[in-house]
Amino acid sequence: MSGDASQTESTQRLRDALADGRLEQWRVPLGLLALVVFLRPVIGHEFLLNYPPFANTILVWMLFAASFNVLLGYTGLLSFGHGMFLGFGAYGAAIGLTRFDLPFTVSAVIGLAVAAVVAYLIGRIIAQRGEIYFAMLTLAFAKAAHFIANQNYGGLTGGSTGIVGVLPSWIETERGVKYVAAGGFQFDWYYLLGAVFVLAALAIWQIARSPFGRSLVAVRENEELARAVGIDDKRYKIWSFTFSGVFAALAGVLYAINNQGSSLSTLTVETSGDIILMTVLGGANYFFGPLAGVFVWLFSEEFLIEFETLVLPLAEYPLVRIELGGLLSYWQFFLGLLFVISVLVAPREGLWGLFRSGIGGLYDRVRGVRE
Amino acid sequence: MSDTATTARSADVVLETEGLTKQFGGLTALEHVDLAVERGELHAIIGPNGAGKTTLFNTITGALDPTAGTVWFDGEDVTEMAQEKRPHRGLARSFQSNQLFADLSVLENVRIVVQTARSGRFGLDLLGNGRAKYRDAAFEYLERVGLDGERTTLAKNLSHGDQRRLGIAISLATDPSVLLLDEPTSGMGPTETQETADMIDELQQDLDLTVLLIEHDMDIVLSMSDRITVLNQGEVLATDSPEAIQENEDVQNAYLGGMREEL
Repeated sequence: MSGDASQTESTQRLRDALADGRLEQWRVPLGLLALVVFLRPVIGHEFLLNYPPFANTILVWMLFAASFNVLLGYTGLLSFGHGMFLGFGAYGAAIGLTRFDLPFTVSAVIGLAVAAVVAYLIGRIIAQRGEIYFAMLTLAFAKAAHFIANQNYGGLTGGSTGIVGVLPSWIETERGVKYVAAGGFQFDWYYLLGAVFVLAALAIWQIARSPFGRSLVAVRENEELARAVGIDDKRYKIWSFTFSGVFAALAGVLYAINNQGSSLSTLTVETSGDIILMTVLGGANYFFGPLAGVFVWLFSEEFLIEFETLVLPLAEYPLVRIELGGLLSYWQFFLGLLFVISVLVAPREGLWGLFRSGIGGLYDRVRGVRE
Repeated sequence: MSDTATTARSADVVLETEGLTKQFGGLTALEHVDLAVERGELHAIIGPNGAGKTTLFNTITGALDPTAGTVWFDGEDVTEMAQEKRPHRGLARSFQSNQLFADLSVLENVRIVVQTARSGRFGLDLLGNGRAKYRDAAFEYLERVGLDGERTTLAKNLSHGDQRRLGIAISLATDPSVLLLDEPTSGMGPTETQETADMIDELQQDLDLTVLLIEHDMDIVLSMSDRITVLNQGEVLATDSPEAIQENEDVQNAYLGGMREEL
């Protein structure tokens, strides 16, 4: 009997630790480090994509998704125009560098500042609108940004071609692989990108777990109650939108280096839509959910699209060939199906939620804990 | 009724409405309601369904803007004050339907409110672990309503009665001087109802609260209240002591007569 008591007590302690985020304190930073360390070897493995630089693209999108989830996951606001802020970062960096001969970092900071101001102002206008109007207005603002960039006023934005061939002076390319060259050192761009990614993602995570972030969650959970207990939901929404926009712009700055410039595609409705789909697919309820969504989405896109034959070298058979080309070229259909299923089953849980409940169930079974 | 204006803003009246009117399109939900709640009393609002009781709460707390009239709180005209400012002045409410942060733990439901009460209606406090701050204070409120054993349970998974109690804990966590309780015992059985009534009584003593209570259970109302206001079709029928209200002919005709036969 005493064994039972101590077990329920330890279970309660574990629940407490889970509930107040003490475990997360280690889980998230370590998880982010592990992600950056393992992503490239996995992506670069010859059985998989065999193309290490693709890990760069994945990290940029992961940061974009993490920034987007400040809004969707933590504040419960659905923006249909978040690509706009990715664009502010990318165009800001590229315009400063090419049109005004500013150092890259200065251009990048200007891009972030513009994104912050614009996000704050738009937030002020739309934060208190109902859900559907918020979504429509973000879409409208993003459309306006796309239009302006496409018009190429004053030759700033380069119209439909965007701004191409832009690189900071401290980046060198060799056969399509980028290197950071600074002070006699030369190292792969992935490591700088990875470092910025980890720091930015940690900052987002810290915002989400801070008292400020908990107030966002209260607004997400029940706006009416939040107001009734004295939470100024409008201001929290405005600042959530602002932070979200700034981190999206930071992803845009990284995008500008990674893609050697800024393309008009960052500002399209498709980009804004993709980030919603990736985030929801991965699971908006969790910090790692959107990152998982990005990984599954982009990996499928790159991996499955060119996948024609599955070749399995097994000991008994010299070579097993499974023809998959016809089937897997419909990868978007399968991804769409997965998306529909995950939304129908649990709209905020996504793949990461499934994964976690799988792990949790396994843990309970091992421990012999029954509901 | 018109002499309330002169008693207004006197030291012992903490909450007062003057000519409070609320119309929804053509429908008048509140018609010229004058109400004076004295400091430290338990003041019950009774009346048949649709009498405007919850609408009265909504206009007092600022969830709805009144069509006409004034709300005075602590000697200050708060009619135009933003809703989210009022809890910070000490005016709190619970809801008739269970309004909770459904997907958060019981403790976190209360902790967020303690955080709001102590750090203001907005703050860019970006450091530290939010969920660890004010945990102990939040836990004390859970103990007060008897939910300390459920601290890690998600609010949506609580039983109905426990959700009602959590609603009270949430409104207590705003550290109110005046608490508006909208049918705290709705959906409860007789035992639970009595427990909740005892709890409210205890809370009022311990925390020095003024309570404005909407309640259907007449036994509770008559035994607990210092004064009772009867609303009917948006109008105040009478405000008086429980004994006087029972004897009041208007009230008997319009409302209590029917109820008495039920009892």
